[in-house]
Amino acid sequence: MPAFLIHTIPGFEEWKTNARHCLTQKIPPSQIQWQSHYEDANLNLFASEPIDDHKKPFSNPPAARDLKVPRSFMELAQIVICHNSPERFALLYRVVWRLLHENRLLLDYQTDSDMRQLVAMAKAVRRDAYKIKALLRFREVLHNDKNHFVAWYEPEHYTLELALPFFQERFKNMSWSILTQYRSAHWDREKLILTETADKAVYPNEDAVEAYWVQYYASIFNPARLKTKAMLSQMPKKYWKHMPETAQIESLIHNASQQVMVMISKQNQI
Amino acid sequence: MFSPSIHQETLMGKLKILADAAKYDASCASGTAGKRSAQKGDGGIGSLTGGTGICHSFTPDGRCVSLLKILMTNYCTYDCQYCINRISSNVQRARFKEEEVVELTLNFYKRNYIEGLFLSSGIIQSPDYTMEAMIRIIKTLRTTHGFKGYIHLKTIPNASPQLQIKAGWYADRLSINVEFPTQTSLNQYAPEKNIEDITSTMGRLKEKISEGNTERKMPRYTPGGQSTQMIIGADSTSDKGILLTSVGLYKHYKLRRVYYSAFSPIPDSSSLLPSRPAPLIREHRLYQADWLLRFYEFTLDDILVGTQGDMLDLNHDPKLAWALQNRHLFPLDLNTADRHLLLKIPGLGVRSVDKIIALRRFHLLTWEDLSKLHVSLNKVKPFVSVLNYRPHRQILDQDNLGLLVQKPKQMNLFESNSQCQLF
Repeated sequence: MPAFLIHTIPGFEEWKTNARHCLTQKIPPSQIQWQSHYEDANLNLFASEPIDDHKKPFSNPPAARDLKVPRSFMELAQIVICHNSPERFALLYRVVWRLLHENRLLLDYQTDSDMRQLVAMAKAVRRDAYKIKALLRFREVLHNDKNHFVAWYEPEHYTLELALPFFQERFKNMSWSILTQYRSAHWDREKLILTETADKAVYPNEDAVEAYWVQYYASIFNPARLKTKAMLSQMPKKYWKHMPETAQIESLIHNASQQVMVMISKQNQI
Repeated sequence: MFSPSIHQETLMGKLKILADAAKYDASCASGTAGKRSAQKGDGGIGSLTGGTGICHSFTPDGRCVSLLKILMTNYCTYDCQYCINRISSNVQRARFKEEEVVELTLNFYKRNYIEGLFLSSGIIQSPDYTMEAMIRIIKTLRTTHGFKGYIHLKTIPNASPQLQIKAGWYADRLSINVEFPTQTSLNQYAPEKNIEDITSTMGRLKEKISEGNTERKMPRYTPGGQSTQMIIGADSTSDKGILLTSVGLYKHYKLRRVYYSAFSPIPDSSSLLPSRPAPLIREHRLYQADWLLRFYEFTLDDILVGTQGDMLDLNHDPKLAWALQNRHLFPLDLNTADRHLLLKIPGLGVRSVDKIIALRRFHLLTWEDLSKLHVSLNKVKPFVSVLNYRPHRQILDQDNLGLLVQKPKQMNLFESNSQCQLF
C-alpha cells in the first residue's frame, strides 16, 4: 500500500505530484494512505510512528496526458488543500479518481457525499481567508527609523497564503509583517519573504491610533437598535481576540437600553 | 506618522461627536465599484477588490463596520425634524479640520480597520460652501495621497449642479437622501428639502455616470453609482407608498440601493416625531420586498396582493405572504418547474434554485436531496413536490398554513437580519 507523508503546509504541490503518479498507476483511493508531517507533529502527538522517509514524494512526476480534469476542480483543490483536516489529501484524491473513472460531472453533483464534504471544506476555508482580510489589525512600529506595520493573526486553516495577494495589493507601498501560528510573511515594498516561524513577542502591545478606532466603534453603534444576535452570527466570539474594539462590547450592550430610556423620557418631557 | 499629541483631546472629542452624529445613516457597506489599486512606487495606498467591500467589524446593533462613517461637521443651518443635527437641536457641536479627516482615514486604512471613507456633513454657511469643503477632503485623499480605497460622499442637497458633478470624479459612490417618500412629508419634517431638487440631482448624476463609463481612458466616474435612504415609520406613508417611490427611483435614476432606516429615537428630538422606535421588523420586510423586486422577478402588484391598508404583513415575509395568496399555483414540481417559478417558492433562495437545476441533470430529485441541499424543509414542505413526496391538498388549504411553516420560535419583532451579508 503506497503511503505518502506530506512535508509542506498546506501541501498542494506535493499532493499533486503524488496523486498524478498514483493516477497513472491506476491505484484506487482505498489503497493509498496520506499523512501530514506538520499535523502529526503538532496535533497528533500520540499518533503512531510517522511513515518512513523512503516513502518520500516522487521527484519526477510521470506524464499526465490522460489525466485531464476540469480546471474548476484544480481551483477547488487549491482552496480545499488549505483546510486543517488531515483528511483533505485522501478526499481530494478520491474525488479526482472518481472524476476520471466514474463521473466527469461529479463536481455538479451537489448531493454526493464526497462533493458535500469538499464543498463544505472549501466554504470553511474561504470564510477563514475572508476573516483574515477583514479582522487582521496592524500596529505601527519604528523599525530602523522606518515605519513598519505588524499584525498577529491565528487563522483556523492554512489561509495566510490565500490572503497575501490582498495585502500585497492593498498595502503595496507600506512595509509590513503578518505573523501567524504556522508561518510569517514580510513585505518590504519590493519583495515578499515567508518564514516558517513566528514570534508573537514581536507583535507590539500598543498603537497610537488604536484608541481612536475603539472610540469610533463605540460612537457609531446605535443603542436604539440593539441586535446582539446579528452581531454574533457575523462575528462569533472566537474572533474577538484579534480585534481591540471588542473589549468594550459588554459595556456597550449593558448601557444601551438605559441610553434609549433616557432619550425617550427626555422627549416625553418636551 | 500620526501625531495626536497636540490635538489629542480635541480630535478624540470631535471623533466621538461626529461619528455619533453619522450613525443614523443606514448605508453601511461599501458597494461594488470595480477593481483598482495603488501602483508600486507611486506612494499610493489602497485597493478595491472587485466585490462588495469587506466588513471589518460588527457593532452590537448588527451593522457592519466597513467605512469610517463621519460627518465633516454637525453644525447645520437646516431644521429637519428627524435629524439629530438640526439647528434647533441642543446636541454638542464639532467640526473636523479638513486635514484631520484625511489623516484619520489614512491611519485607519493603514491598520486595516476600514475599506474607506463615508463622508457626510451638516450644512454650514451655504450648501456650496459645505460641498466645496467636502470635495477638497476627498480630492486631497485621491491626489495628494494616492488613496485608492472606497469613498462614499453624501452630497449636499441644494448644492450647485457643477459641484455635485465634480464630486463624482473623486467618489466611488454618491448618495443623496430622499429621507421621506412624499413631498407632503418632506414639507412637514424637512422644510428646506424638495423632492424635485433631489431627483433632478439624481437625474444629472445618472446621465454623467452612464456617459463617464463609455470613455475608456478617463478614470471611471462614480463607479459605485448612487444610493439613497428613506426613514421608515416617522411619517404615515404606507409600505405601498414607500415601495412605489423605491421602484421609481430604481427605474428612473438607476440607483444601486435604496436603504430603509426604521425611525429610532434620537437625543433631544422634535415633538413632531413619534417617541417610540418604528419596529425593525417593518424595515426588514421592506428590504425583503425590495430584494424580491430586484432579484426574484416579483412585481409590486405581486407583493401588495392581499395586504391590508397597503402595509406589508409583519408576521410573514413577503414571499410567503404571496404564496399564501396564490395557493392554487402550488405544489410546484421541483423536477420540472421553470426557474422563475422556483424562485417564487418560500424557503428557496437564488442559490438553492440554481443547485436544484444543476442536480436535475443527474437524477430526479427526492426529498432526501432537499435536506442535503440545506433547504428549510419545514418551509418548503407544503409548496413543493419531488419524486417521492407530494403534500396533501388539505395542507395547502389550511387557514394557519403561514404559522405552520414558520420557525417554531416566534421571531422577536425587534430582531432582524443584518443588511450586510458577508458573501
